Amino acid sequence: MSFLYDFITGDKSLKPLPPKKKEDLPYIKEGLKFNEWKEKNANKHKWRNRRWAFVIFINLLFVLSFHLGWGVLEGSLSGSRLLGIYLMDPYNSSQELVISSKTGFISHLTTNFWIGFFVILTFYWLVGGRAFCSWVCPYHFFAEWGEKVHDYIVKKKKIREKTYDITVKYVFWIGFLIVAFLTQQLVFEDLNPVGILSRSMIYGPGLATIWAVLLLAYEIFGIKRFWCRYVCPIGVTYSFVGDLSPLGVKFELDKCAHCRDCQDVCLVPHELWFVKKGAATKEVHYTGGDCTKCGLCIDVCYSGALSFGFKGLTANRWGYKLAAKAEEASKNA
Amino acid sequence: MAVKQTKTNRRQFLKASAAAVVSLAVVGSAAYYLRDKSSVKRTGILRPPGSVDEKDFLYACIKCGLCVQICPVHAIKLADWTSFLSYGTPYIDANVQACDFSCDAIQCAETCPTGAINFQIFRHAGDEAVAPLYKKYPNGFPPEINPFEVQIQAMRRVADMGKAKITDPQLCLAYHGKGYSGPLGKHHALLRPPGSKERIDIAETVVNREICDLCVAYCPLGNEAIELKELGNGKYLPEIKDGCVGCGVCQMLCPTEPKAIVVEPRKDTV
Repeated sequence: MSFLYDFITGDKSLKPLPPKKKEDLPYIKEGLKFNEWKEKNANKHKWRNRRWAFVIFINLLFVLSFHLGWGVLEGSLSGSRLLGIYLMDPYNSSQELVISSKTGFISHLTTNFWIGFFVILTFYWLVGGRAFCSWVCPYHFFAEWGEKVHDYIVKKKKIREKTYDITVKYVFWIGFLIVAFLTQQLVFEDLNPVGILSRSMIYGPGLATIWAVLLLAYEIFGIKRFWCRYVCPIGVTYSFVGDLSPLGVKFELDKCAHCRDCQDVCLVPHELWFVKKGAATKEVHYTGGDCTKCGLCIDVCYSGALSFGFKGLTANRWGYKLAAKAEEASKNA
Repeated sequence: MAVKQTKTNRRQFLKASAAAVVSLAVVGSAAYYLRDKSSVKRTGILRPPGSVDEKDFLYACIKCGLCVQICPVHAIKLADWTSFLSYGTPYIDANVQACDFSCDAIQCAETCPTGAINFQIFRHAGDEAVAPLYKKYPNGFPPEINPFEVQIQAMRRVADMGKAKITDPQLCLAYHGKGYSGPLGKHHALLRPPGSKERIDIAETVVNREICDLCVAYCPLGNEAIELKELGNGKYLPEIKDGCVGCGVCQMLCPTEPKAIVVEPRKDTV
């Protein structure tokens, strides 16, 4: 579906720039061989280490706030209170809104619910949407390790890699809302490994924990990142605000050596489509809504072509569409 | 390692979507089926005070557990998958730890962000009870009137969690004219006796009653909810009145095994 693909990849529909000349590649400029150059700049894990520390910190803060009565971060990932400010899981809340507008319960929702819903959307709009996935989500933390195991098994040729159309997650996003509307249940929350893991850590594990473990096993021995890539509607909700976010991973074409190691480590490689030789349509690109701001690509990049950057308010799919239209209009005039 | 770009074409998309729609349909119909199963009806599930009707509660509760965290006596627990669609929703096991209203302000309701535990009913009841007092005594209250007590009692009255019930009079110690001496409870649990400011651990509190009346003596609602009735011949039996809200303190304290008095959770439509 080309429309949906444009929707994800933003400026991909523009005309690509001519491929870089060999003498412009960074390792040629430095007078090194490709492998020497790679070795010289390898082995940074700055952002990964920071991120893992943060995931552990935030989830530990949930657990300790409850068990030691700190009252800093109460609740769980489906709804919480940070120093008195409510935060609501946006997809959980969306389901709730869909059902309660049907039953009329919407007028009973408290002010704190609305505050929590808008605070979380605004916050993740600011820091880049799916930053939630890699910086907060406990399931993603385990799935990231699972992905490494999965890659190892694939490399040993024990299983064959299969990929599917990632736009199917939008079907799940709408689908779970429809299911919620029809059954008047928060059906997704009964299956949501993010909420289940969060609750299991804070209030103790139960039968539901097994489901999260099974899902993880399926991601390792079956389809790579099955839940995060193809299903999770929480991630999709965050990707909507993330695409409009003023922050993103910045790509500078003139520094890039087209080694594509960043795409190998990337958890959502389609977001780095512009690193392929001859693919970039502009000198500077920013990742879109699916980018989890995990920083793995920044760590691996040998030339500093990738960095966290301020992309402003127009470098998103809507902005590109408007710019393309304006350009066309000026040509016609 | 060359990266495979996730290409999309119409066929692939339709195939994946078909799988998605089928799985959603299976999950959806399973949820629809389970909703009408008796296991999710209120039988056996005592909800926190002020919980809305079960048919609304099941979707209104966002399963965050803020009520669990705020409860000072740790009465509230979150249900597991064994409760099917009630998974993650709060309940109270009165055998282990009943709601003794010792937080005063019904904090679980106050903290609930979605209104699944509805604080508004408590606010209205409390306000209505104290409004005439403020009118009557515009220049301050006489020492015998504590408007805070009046407000709290009015809030307790509307909790409506269920109703206590005598399972079998033959089980009741008072019915046989027997007393009870020993610890207030077999396990550690918290309780604030009426009129007291401190919480006690029921396992560490020893009581001595000539006629066992623990359910009556420790009821947070007092004699508007339960009273010991004399049947003659030295026999007694607690009588449950309309004021009972089903907090479960009587069930927690009843020393017999099985319990002579239990709370029947409010029966709602699902």
